[in-house]
Amino acid sequence: MRYYSKVSPWLFITPTILGLVFFRLGPIIGAFLASFTDWNVFSPPEWIGTANYVELFNSSTFWLILRNTLVFSVFYVAGVMVVGLFLAVLVNNRLRAITFFRGLYYLPVITSTVAIGAVWSWILSARFGVFPNLLANFGIYNVPSFLGDGRYALLTLVVVYIWKMSGYHMILFLAGLQNIPEEYYEAAKIDGATRWQSLRHITLPLLSSTTFFIGIIALIQSLQSFDITMAMTEGGPNYASATLSFFTYINAFVHFRMGYAAAMSFVLLIIVGIITFVNFRARKYWVETVD
Amino acid sequence: MKRNLVILTLAALMVAGLSALVMAEQVTLRYFMWDPEFQDIEAELIKGFEAENPHIKVEMTALDPNNFWPRLAAMAAAGELPDVFSMSTGYIDTWARDGLLMNIQHLVDRDVDPEKYFYNVFAEDRFPNKETSDMYAIPYAWVGSVLFYNKDMFDAAGLEYPDADWTWDEFRAAAKALTIQSNPNRPPEQYGFFWYGRYAQVEPWVYANGGRILNENKTRIAIDEKAREALQFLSDLTNVDGVSLPHRDLAGMRQQDLFPLQQVAMWVDGSWMVDHVRNTAGDSFRWGIAHVPQGPSLEAGEERSYYWPDSVAIAATTKHPEEAWAFIQYLIGANRPVETFMPGKVPIYRATAYSEEWLSKDQQPGNMEIILELGDTPVRTTFNMGWSEWRGYASTGGAGMNGELDAVTNGQQTVDEAIEKITRDGNVVLERYYPEP
Repeated sequence: MRYYSKVSPWLFITPTILGLVFFRLGPIIGAFLASFTDWNVFSPPEWIGTANYVELFNSSTFWLILRNTLVFSVFYVAGVMVVGLFLAVLVNNRLRAITFFRGLYYLPVITSTVAIGAVWSWILSARFGVFPNLLANFGIYNVPSFLGDGRYALLTLVVVYIWKMSGYHMILFLAGLQNIPEEYYEAAKIDGATRWQSLRHITLPLLSSTTFFIGIIALIQSLQSFDITMAMTEGGPNYASATLSFFTYINAFVHFRMGYAAAMSFVLLIIVGIITFVNFRARKYWVETVD
Repeated sequence: MKRNLVILTLAALMVAGLSALVMAEQVTLRYFMWDPEFQDIEAELIKGFEAENPHIKVEMTALDPNNFWPRLAAMAAAGELPDVFSMSTGYIDTWARDGLLMNIQHLVDRDVDPEKYFYNVFAEDRFPNKETSDMYAIPYAWVGSVLFYNKDMFDAAGLEYPDADWTWDEFRAAAKALTIQSNPNRPPEQYGFFWYGRYAQVEPWVYANGGRILNENKTRIAIDEKAREALQFLSDLTNVDGVSLPHRDLAGMRQQDLFPLQQVAMWVDGSWMVDHVRNTAGDSFRWGIAHVPQGPSLEAGEERSYYWPDSVAIAATTKHPEEAWAFIQYLIGANRPVETFMPGKVPIYRATAYSEEWLSKDQQPGNMEIILELGDTPVRTTFNMGWSEWRGYASTGGAGMNGELDAVTNGQQTVDEAIEKITRDGNVVLERYYPEP
């Protein structure tokens, strides 16, 4: 006992605490204070009270972007979970080349975002794109401009984000699937359960803790969507495909409106906080564990 | 012996003293520029300067524009700006207002011979008034908007090439004749023209009609009737005549590729695109440049051209203003070789711009003097504080005035609806930068 005083554990976690305080908590507090200032980076910040928040809530662009963010999140989280689970179920077997397929589905996750943006833009390009030209061969000409038309741009981006990230969620679901004891399926089979019934009554309930985790991860990802948006539409046309994180970046590093951008990031933080809190509270009603 | 020792000691002291004097006069300037592509050529230029000014050493850092501005902004915040740095027309007003740039007017008055430079271009580096105020940066190069046209397509359609007397009606008729659509179910294979909401493509038409987008002192958006007429003319090209590609169909490609890939016969954009067209099109077709045609409402004395400089500025905090100014004079003057200018970017120093090397008659378009003529007419631009925000630029190119005009090309709104939104939203931005007194 004399080797381990009360101070010892604190010594070990000090580096982590320091990191959290200086690189997480510090900037968060700094950004919170900045959100009450008018600050363009090169001049000293000027305290303006809640003016940034007032401007934010009076801006029609902000409400459009908030709406885009919610639409994006709903479709992305649902899409990436369904596709991720589907892929995980597909690759959760002992076929000979299964490792190859697992790698293949994971490939978009590690592929350069810029390359993905460029390739998908070429596929969907209204004038030279592979997709519209393919359809033209079948006599279908009036294909909408998926990236250039404000009505479709956001959902097109959702599809590309899902395509890129499904492999990541597949791996998480796969880990969850492999945690489910084989005996449950054997017992169900003996009882005459169909594959659908096994999925519905064994897989999904026992996967719920993984699903819960993936839901939160996917939600956070959706609210941080930026890179593909930047590469493919730059938030356009006319902010039709811009989401909060993209708009925050634009205000901070293009317009150099740090205070306004900080206010926006706090609105985003509050939204993430509320959704995560609700999710955690709802957890006990639908999350089951193997134990 | 003793005497020798005294002499030696005195000599040593003198040498040490002189060295200390020389060391004390040795000045190091930090120079930040935004074009890494020309880093090596600029390094040669700097060597020449250092050879002529042995007491000044220049440390250059080259960053591409995406990294240049955030880095410079951070340095400004820390009070650590480099002595000399590249400056954009889009930022000069904000930086001058915030006291970050040195007022160089007295140095310009003292050392610069206006005859040797495109003096009209200097106007954009004045703050706050573009005609009468002092200069806070000085151009080293400038660009303007011109009409690019495909000579092969004109020949195939049996049309005369554009000239200085071209009217908007003649332009429109040519654009129609140059549009080829063989299948009515599909978009035209070849468009007569292309425009979208971008500043380099819209403002030239507005100014060619004597119009204004901003009020007299450039603090509010006030699109006048002549500007509205120009915007309506552009809108009709897309929505009535169908001779220009709607913006939505541009998705997935770069607008600057349409002309060199022979998708469009005519195109108005900045003169620096000469380089892009040369590189992309090669010798695959013959092309030329012309002035943007003058509009029907342009009155005598209203002639304004749209051009703007790339400049260099001295930090207000520099400890070596004279050395920095000496360096800047070297950067903008006769010493700067043509190779440091991307084709289509005009040297601010007239002799270099009118050199055979810059005019490059042996290469397309073969009539680069068209660009130089712009610099001899008075300038008008929309650049002011908040410009990139209300106009829509770089990463926000799909927003602001750009976005509203793009929606016009898509047939989603009329010109009047767009003007209403541009004015309403743009003035919200400008009220922040230019509050009501």
